[in-house]
Amino acid sequence: MKQYLKLAAAAAVIIAGAGIADAQAQKKPAAAKPAAAAPAAAAKPAAKPVMKSGGSMATLGGHPNLNGIWQAITEANYNLEPHDSGDSPSGSRQVGALGAIHGGLGVVEGGVIPYKPDALKQRDAYRATAPRYDPEAACYLPGIPRATYMSFPFQIIQGEKGDMLMVYEYANANRAIKMGPVGVPSIDTWMGTSYGSWKGNSLEVVTLSQSPGEYKAPAGEMMENKTWLDRSGNYLGSNSSVTEKFTLIDKDHIAYEATITDPDLYTKPWKIKLTLYRRLEPNAELMDFRCVPYSEEFLYGDLHETKGPSGVGGEANAPAKN
Amino acid sequence: MRMKSWRAGVIGAILMASCGGVAYAHHSFGAEFDSSKPVKLEGKVIKFEWVNPHSWIHIDVVGPDGKHVEWRVEGGAPSALLRRGWNRNSLPPGTQITVQAFRSRDGDTRASAAEISFPNGQQLSLGNPTTEAVIAAAKRAQGQ
Repeated sequence: MKQYLKLAAAAAVIIAGAGIADAQAQKKPAAAKPAAAAPAAAAKPAAKPVMKSGGSMATLGGHPNLNGIWQAITEANYNLEPHDSGDSPSGSRQVGALGAIHGGLGVVEGGVIPYKPDALKQRDAYRATAPRYDPEAACYLPGIPRATYMSFPFQIIQGEKGDMLMVYEYANANRAIKMGPVGVPSIDTWMGTSYGSWKGNSLEVVTLSQSPGEYKAPAGEMMENKTWLDRSGNYLGSNSSVTEKFTLIDKDHIAYEATITDPDLYTKPWKIKLTLYRRLEPNAELMDFRCVPYSEEFLYGDLHETKGPSGVGGEANAPAKN
Repeated sequence: MRMKSWRAGVIGAILMASCGGVAYAHHSFGAEFDSSKPVKLEGKVIKFEWVNPHSWIHIDVVGPDGKHVEWRVEGGAPSALLRRGWNRNSLPPGTQITVQAFRSRDGDTRASAAEISFPNGQQLSLGNPTTEAVIAAAKRAQGQ
């Protein structure tokens, strides 16, 4: 119970810290045990935190216990469809092979996302200019299902009853899953509004009303963007519905699938499937990835070139060009 | 159960963070707006921006010279509006509204308001607590 409270408090602190630039709010990693306590500690094994490792509670409130830190091992965030490895979409002069795309067998059932012709043109337009309008590059929120399969762990927080919580390491993205019937979200938001229910042993989550709305792209460009599904320009719209299913295969693996439906964009509903792996290290925890400073050059670097880092005049203050 | 006691707090915190992605700092009312410069704006809504830290109503105000000027009026954060029952249909483009607001210090056509009113006399709170406090303080000062 105490460990549960500590974890929940930590999650609340991480979430509250997302909107407030307060370094003191950051959770510090657990301090190492002092050497003097080591002999005593060796005599009795350290208590395993129940929630982080899953522990012995296989069920909670009659439902499978999904608590823990999970991560997808997949190339889906590069491109949901089957694809070869490839050159970085931009910046390979600066970063070489570091920025290259990893090849993947694809996670889309049937291999191809069934876009309608106009929607496919939009996807290709995003792809041609990637990562310019990719919310991930700008450290904006990733939406669902993308948050699940980015190369970051995330944490599921589940009680015996009541709403569930998912916290993603990337940009402190998070969502509360309202357990109950699917409703009508009041407004569009970056992460949408999620409604959950148990279907047998699977957690089913329906997410509606995702939209980045009027979007600030690099160099001050404002445009109406869509929620991207990966770095290669695949996307969904504000009228799309995403139905996810989380099913425990065994205590350390979740079979995850997401069905995306939108008659305006796709000729039929389509599904992705992948596996979520539990992070098993005893001290597993989410790190901070507050990426707003990392995206500053991407979004505002043009101002440096004209105004210099201090905001004052031209060429004399411009960064040295290679 | 302890679950209930932390859940409300966590979900409240999430509502604050869930519309995130804005990089600039949230300034005080007094740094941006002038409480000694009230302005009354009447016009049709152009659009409504659901953004943090403040929502923005864009209004098409027609001056006595017949010129159209777009004013931006600051409201509360989306979470504050949602708690007051606002949703995506609350202020559709084309709606005629009147706003009593405080002008920005930099002379831009930008202002901060606590509530808006409609031609039929109905009023709607914008969930902007600092601006509400400034108006309340001004009323108390007048009352003295």
